Amino acid sequence: MLRFNLSAIFLLLAAFLVQQFVPAFTGLSHARILIVHLVFLCAAVSVATPTMLLLAFIGGILWDAHCSLAPMLVDPEVYTQPTESLRFGYSILLFAGMGFLMQGLNPLFREGKWHFSALLTGVATFLYLAADYALISFVRGDFVISRSILRLMSYTALLTMLVSPLVFWLLYRIAMVFDHSLYPEAGNHKRRSF
Amino acid sequence: MKPLNLIALLLFLAGATWALTRSEPVVREIQVAYFKAISPALKSGSALETKTRELLRETKHSKELEAEHSTIRSEIGRLRIIESRFQELEHENAELRHALDFKKATDFDVVAANIIRRHPTTWWQTAEIDAGEDRGIGIQLSVLSNDGLVGLIDRPFKNRSSVLLITDEKCQVSVRIEGSPEVGILSGQRGEFDNNPTLRLRFLSKNASLQPGQRVFTTGSGGIFQPNILVGTLISVERGSLDSEALVKPAVDLSDLGTVFVVLSENH
Repeated sequence: MLRFNLSAIFLLLAAFLVQQFVPAFTGLSHARILIVHLVFLCAAVSVATPTMLLLAFIGGILWDAHCSLAPMLVDPEVYTQPTESLRFGYSILLFAGMGFLMQGLNPLFREGKWHFSALLTGVATFLYLAADYALISFVRGDFVISRSILRLMSYTALLTMLVSPLVFWLLYRIAMVFDHSLYPEAGNHKRRSF
Repeated sequence: MKPLNLIALLLFLAGATWALTRSEPVVREIQVAYFKAISPALKSGSALETKTRELLRETKHSKELEAEHSTIRSEIGRLRIIESRFQELEHENAELRHALDFKKATDFDVVAANIIRRHPTTWWQTAEIDAGEDRGIGIQLSVLSNDGLVGLIDRPFKNRSSVLLITDEKCQVSVRIEGSPEVGILSGQRGEFDNNPTLRLRFLSKNASLQPGQRVFTTGSGGIFQPNILVGTLISVERGSLDSEALVKPAVDLSDLGTVFVVLSENH
């Protein structure tokens, strides 16, 4: 269990490296596969709540370290309305929110029904982007939701969801290596069925 | 709730509060440590990406390349003439300034750098260049290309820097419109994910007399960008009850950026 949890953390860190080289699909409103988020979501459903929260903290803080912009130091007499940025660390809370959402399907996942979790990764990614965008709009004002924004969020969620079986397979293989079962109740469920 | 989960939740909230209350220098330290940790992978990955890009460029049709080569040669010739004229004017200007006892000289000190890649962020418009603090690059320096303004340095690191592109909503530029007394603040638009993003020019006067096609240049005021850098061309003007706004097409094709120049300082 401990070794699997550590592997999930290392997998999340590796996802940050992979994410650097995932290109945007220009034909699909510049959508891209969010590998970091996907690995976190898949791991979140397969670990206990404390580990999920640890993953959310690591994922959120590193994501903000990668993405957050520096404040513009300008003459306030010329730039009277500077564009605000979100505070460093806000992604930690968004990651945790997504993690709790994924853990809602934990009972089904433990029975071996990973495909429901795979579908939920798409929903969670879409909700994450929507919450992210809503926060940006709240801080900067002027809430605008255009077709291109909706397309970007939808395509990103869809592309991310399509890759989720691969990540679940990877987690399954890692669990096997460490003699840990991702679906401990799959056998019981079968017995109950019969 | 299980006691272990409750403890984990409390620790998580404490950690999140710690992160949310960090000051800008601490955030910068965290970012430096993060990029330092991933830089070996970035370096090798970027080298591979550059080689692939070069290979793809080389496979372009030879006639297209020949035509491009010919255009570039004629353009170089034209620019050489302009440059010599500029040098002459610069020399003359410097002499005049010296005569007037101006403290400022006029030469730009620039560092050439290559755009390595666009950052994998969803909402921000940022790119990475292969030059950093070791080449004198600091925060908020202007980044230009041959065609005009590209953006500004957002975060410089040891041997690479992050560039905030002018298409990002956060990148605000004080600009003037050629042939008009109008000045305003230009910035990218939120949610512009098309291949041809436009910029929004705000705070123009209510009855601004502007025509599509007029060029937009930096004013130089505000403390970041040098004056008279081409930013884009006016596309349309929207008149409001209190002021006017305009849409501007960037002068630079940000989807196909190669070499850029970071203006280290205007003065020596």
